[in-house]
Amino acid sequence: MKQWWSRIISVVIALTMLLTQMSAAWAAEPLGVENSPLEEVIEGIILWKKAENGSAPEESFFNDAYLGQAGTTAGDWYPIGMGRFGYEEDYGAYLAMLKEKVQERYRKPEKLNRDKATEWHRISLAVLACGGDPTCFGVDEAGNPINLIADGVYNRGNTASLGRQGINGWIWGLIALDSMRYEIPEGAYYSRADILKQILQRQLPDGGFALTGSVADPDITAMALQALAPYYISDAVYSYRRGQQEVSRTVREVVDEALACLSVMQLENGGYASWGTENVESADQVLVALCSLGIDPLSDARFVKNGNTLLDAILSFRQPDGGFLHSRVYDADNPSSLPNQSNTMAGEQTVYALTALWRQQNGKNALYDFRPEGSADGLPPDDPRSVHADAGSQEDSSVLLYFAQSDRDAVDALPGLLTTENYVTVIKLLDKLEKSEDFEGKEHYTSVLNEAKEQIQAVQDEIDGINRDVLEKLYPFNKISLKDKKTVDSIVSRYERLSSYDQGKILRWDDVVKTKTQVDNLQRAVYIAIVLAGLALILALVAVRRLCNRAGSKKRAMEQLAEQYKDEDL
Amino acid sequence: MKKDLLALGFVLLIVAVLLSGTKFQTVEEYYLTHIDDITPESETVTVSIECSNILKNWDDLDPSLQSEEFVPSDGVILPPTEYVLRPGDTVFDILERAVRYNKIQMEYQGADQNIYKSVYIQGIHYLYEFSCGPLSGWMYRVNGEFPLYGCSRYELKDGDVIEWVYTCDLGRDVGNDWKEEAGS
Repeated sequence: MKQWWSRIISVVIALTMLLTQMSAAWAAEPLGVENSPLEEVIEGIILWKKAENGSAPEESFFNDAYLGQAGTTAGDWYPIGMGRFGYEEDYGAYLAMLKEKVQERYRKPEKLNRDKATEWHRISLAVLACGGDPTCFGVDEAGNPINLIADGVYNRGNTASLGRQGINGWIWGLIALDSMRYEIPEGAYYSRADILKQILQRQLPDGGFALTGSVADPDITAMALQALAPYYISDAVYSYRRGQQEVSRTVREVVDEALACLSVMQLENGGYASWGTENVESADQVLVALCSLGIDPLSDARFVKNGNTLLDAILSFRQPDGGFLHSRVYDADNPSSLPNQSNTMAGEQTVYALTALWRQQNGKNALYDFRPEGSADGLPPDDPRSVHADAGSQEDSSVLLYFAQSDRDAVDALPGLLTTENYVTVIKLLDKLEKSEDFEGKEHYTSVLNEAKEQIQAVQDEIDGINRDVLEKLYPFNKISLKDKKTVDSIVSRYERLSSYDQGKILRWDDVVKTKTQVDNLQRAVYIAIVLAGLALILALVAVRRLCNRAGSKKRAMEQLAEQYKDEDL
Repeated sequence: MKKDLLALGFVLLIVAVLLSGTKFQTVEEYYLTHIDDITPESETVTVSIECSNILKNWDDLDPSLQSEEFVPSDGVILPPTEYVLRPGDTVFDILERAVRYNKIQMEYQGADQNIYKSVYIQGIHYLYEFSCGPLSGWMYRVNGEFPLYGCSRYELKDGDVIEWVYTCDLGRDVGNDWKEEAGS
């Protein structure tokens, strides 16, 4: 009996050991959210884009070349996605460049843009994603703080309609406004209801939305839903004119119809096509829309076709290098994207779309809800009881930094004669210095960097001045004559005083070289003419003199002869 | 006597040269200053800029642009003009040359500033995209067709005709219906 027992016990122990080994192996599998493949995919795109930027693995994603794109469509969406994902990076540098660019653009009469309010909206989201406050971002020429939400959303109407560029102005205005549930002050041009109605009334007969025409487009429909999402729970009824009819509806009714429309448009592989071509961006936008509405895109029956989800469709565009294709066939509407090459727009939209899903799976706020985690009050933004952020109320995110020795060395290493190539470095260092704790020498470095910034600004002004003068004074070329020589020479000497990097910023310098050659040739022609004329004159004088001499000597010879013969008078 | 004749001959030659205005140039200089001269052997292209569609959509036009200063009464900003085609010239190169030579305002977004890696023309003659409604902006045709490239990616051939046209309806009013082409 004891033998049986010991055998049983040893088997049990063996089995237990075996099972614990196996469950340990299982635990190493990505069951938990920590090792979710979603994170790998998102990081893969970021690393692909980083390499494409030309950054080495140990460098920042935001290298100097990338920072030059701060405030543009080409630059802003990656930091927005990366920031919402929580990818560790030097967002401070991007924020500093954003502020510089915004301040620079604000000096023009049209500020960020004549017609497109979305410039304010996208930049606001980028500011928020990088830890800044769009309601108090830099200063304008008069020294007043810049409020991107006021200028770009609720007071935009004072300059131009928020919808000047079409439905996107209304959609992204609302998204930017609700990013922090900003309070609209008394006397503002637009109310939330104004903007909401502008979106609602553009709903097409098929339930969706588009830029133009009567057929819904998945991207625009999805973006409209992203803007309307915070209002889904609202019972407020909005009255507006839809087509020829006066209607009164809740946002929920409109959203449900748009969702039904999107469901119908979904392809059998779970993806979406736009302008006739299946592409990853359309699927990305629908994914963000569903997550914003609190719908689980992977299990909601309306959005699973033949067992294929949006995620399946999106991942089918993934490339071995970690990037994403735009589409699998050559898309004539996006000719710079090739069907076998990872594309930057596909990458940036997929980063933030998968981030939206990842945030949902991890119980975080929706992609464009920048309020502190867990602070949501469950109320729609149009509910008077809802808590709204005031301008400048976001907590001060400027943690005290340390201006390291490497930073100080970088300042000391700045060349005596600065060029615009040093601009980004100076801005980054200045920003870091301003945010750093006090130390001995801080004042010295501050003044060195401020002087550097001024010097570079002067160089930029000179570059702009040369470009302006060339355009105004040297065209059209057929009118160029010698009297322009002084102008041409002065422009050329100003050009030659620039560094070769800065010379690259002078537009159409080849035309100026042509003008200078022309003028120099004219000058040379004049000199040659003078020399030739002088030569001709001398030759003529010599010839005449010789003629006279010969005439004179002939006369004398004749006279002599006459004298001789006279003496021989017979 | 012979020397005198020779000297006189030289004088006459010099006078002739001066009067005829002969230029003294090196080969490079000649090429450089005559690069845009049109000769029977030159390769050339023709470019024009017009915005007549705005005249049909006057109410949609930004009020600050509603004058002849910005919109010529016949809609013609630049009539068809011939330019020498330099090797490798793109549609953008010709447009830029034309607007600089004729002092026409133009604003563009550099190829590094957008995701299409091509220059994007934002405005010509102060008429911008969205200046005449949300579906308005500049498009270009080459030999009557709309190329599917940004203008700095389209390389020209001898004899090409470029037309820059202002649309107020996303291309439909200038003969480019995207939806028809896409088949959707």
